[in-house]
Amino acid sequence: MAGQRIIGKKRSESTAFAVILFLSFLLIGVIALFFILINDAAAELTANVNHNHIKIDFFYHGSSVSVGGISEPDTDLIIKITSPEGHEVLKQKGKVAGLLWMNTGTLKFENVPNLYSVHSTKKIDELLYQEEMDKYAIGYPALEKHVEISPVSKEEEKNRWFNEFVKLKESSKLYMSSSGKITTTLKDGKQYYYILTDWPYQAPPGDYIVTVYAVKNRKITEKTDAKVQVEQVGIVKTLSNMAKKKGALYGVISIVAALIAGFGVGLIFRKGGGAH
Amino acid sequence: MYLYLPVALTSINIFIPIGLGLAVGLLSGLFGVGGGFLMTPLLIMFGIPSTVAAATDSNQIVAASTSGTYAHWKVGNVDFKMGLYLLIGGFIGGLFGVQAIKVLRATGNADFVIKMTYVLMLGIVGTYMFIESLASMKKKKTEEVKTEKESIMGRFLKSLPLQTHFEKSGATHSLLIPIVFGGFVGILAAIMGVGGGFLMVPVMVYILRMPMHVVVGTSLFQILFNCIEVTFLQAYTNHNVDFILAVLLLLGSTVGAQVGAVFGRKLKGEQLKIILAVIVLLVTVKIIFELTLSPSIFLAQAGGH
Repeated sequence: MAGQRIIGKKRSESTAFAVILFLSFLLIGVIALFFILINDAAAELTANVNHNHIKIDFFYHGSSVSVGGISEPDTDLIIKITSPEGHEVLKQKGKVAGLLWMNTGTLKFENVPNLYSVHSTKKIDELLYQEEMDKYAIGYPALEKHVEISPVSKEEEKNRWFNEFVKLKESSKLYMSSSGKITTTLKDGKQYYYILTDWPYQAPPGDYIVTVYAVKNRKITEKTDAKVQVEQVGIVKTLSNMAKKKGALYGVISIVAALIAGFGVGLIFRKGGGAH
Repeated sequence: MYLYLPVALTSINIFIPIGLGLAVGLLSGLFGVGGGFLMTPLLIMFGIPSTVAAATDSNQIVAASTSGTYAHWKVGNVDFKMGLYLLIGGFIGGLFGVQAIKVLRATGNADFVIKMTYVLMLGIVGTYMFIESLASMKKKKTEEVKTEKESIMGRFLKSLPLQTHFEKSGATHSLLIPIVFGGFVGILAAIMGVGGGFLMVPVMVYILRMPMHVVVGTSLFQILFNCIEVTFLQAYTNHNVDFILAVLLLLGSTVGAQVGAVFGRKLKGEQLKIILAVIVLLVTVKIIFELTLSPSIFLAQAGGH
């Protein structure tokens, strides 16, 4: 009897344990489901690039690229388009003998993208904390911290040359920034965003990355990215490859073509000008 | 209408290079200069990278100078013999010039020295030609022959060995003279990174005493060979020649050179000299402005001047 009771007690204990176990699993399940649902809601951010394969042909004069997608309602958006980072060497102009402007040296820029454009729904410094901008290299001040310039001795000198660098890049449309150009519309509890940007013809062939950031309470809550590929095709590709890989042949063809053109025009003028 | 340039990696309105070619080709046919001192900065202004601009210009000059040489040769204004010796000198001078640049770069202040040499050369040559041609235009009326000046320099030049007669130029010189002065121009051209036509023309006029019309034709003839060499080296070692841009430029420049040659025949030697002098002086002034006005952007692509 006593043994049975013990067993009975044990059984009731184990039932209680099973119930607790079940409940805790249920709880974990509910919590997990909750997070999954939240994550699902967060994973709503999508990005589509309509024209993601730009072909440079003979008549190419730049293009346009539109970026659009879905985001959570009431979030702000930042769209960043960049090329992979590289390094650039540029000539530095300075005063010589206190009077004449000329090249006084070279500056090396490390970790700089050749193309960098940032579009946002509002001004970036109103949208994000400084740390967030720095973390994701969004905006010129953040990019400046990310970039290394040598040789510069002081912070203000770096700042000055970085600003010159941006000016140079902006003059060839490779660096760009805008705010308020992204349109957003609410539909079925989702926010649809869209922007149409000019793609500069100065951007060389290569792969470019479009990153879309969703912003809430001055922090980035999610990001997603898409790719834009720029490629030379046809005659442009043939000539460009030949210039790079078969320099001697390319040189000879260029010279022969010039000689023939020169003689050809000379002959035409002899016939045409014979009357004089 | 826009075309994409596969080596310059940029797009350009085709009327810009055709128009530039026409204008610079006209100068080539008229004065026997390559026109690089005008063309290269203009191309850079229209967004062509500086290295591509210089290399492609030399390709274009091959066409313009072929067209121009042909036009001048038809009327007997090319002294092939003189051109050949100038070329030999220029080639040797070029080799020295390239070494001189290396030495200059090592001293660190290369850009300053090069720019200063360029401005001084342009200024001196332009001023001298201007004053001289103005004086000879006035003298023409009184028909004075200037034999006194020639005597000292002339006697020295006549005393050199290897005297030979240059039929087309109507002058007798030692073979060494075109070689040495060709070499001198070659050194300076290599250092300054220009073709040197604006130096070669005065050398032929004032030192070799060639008639202006023969100077133009002969200068074009030797520029042709210089530019073939430069184009090949640029294409082979630096991959900087843009074929499409060169074709657009030569469409204008080959025609311009023919028109220039026709116009040139209608002008007198002194008139040609004085116009060239004015152009050289204008370029000098433009460079001085560039050097003294503060630039809008303090950074530039590497590779140009």
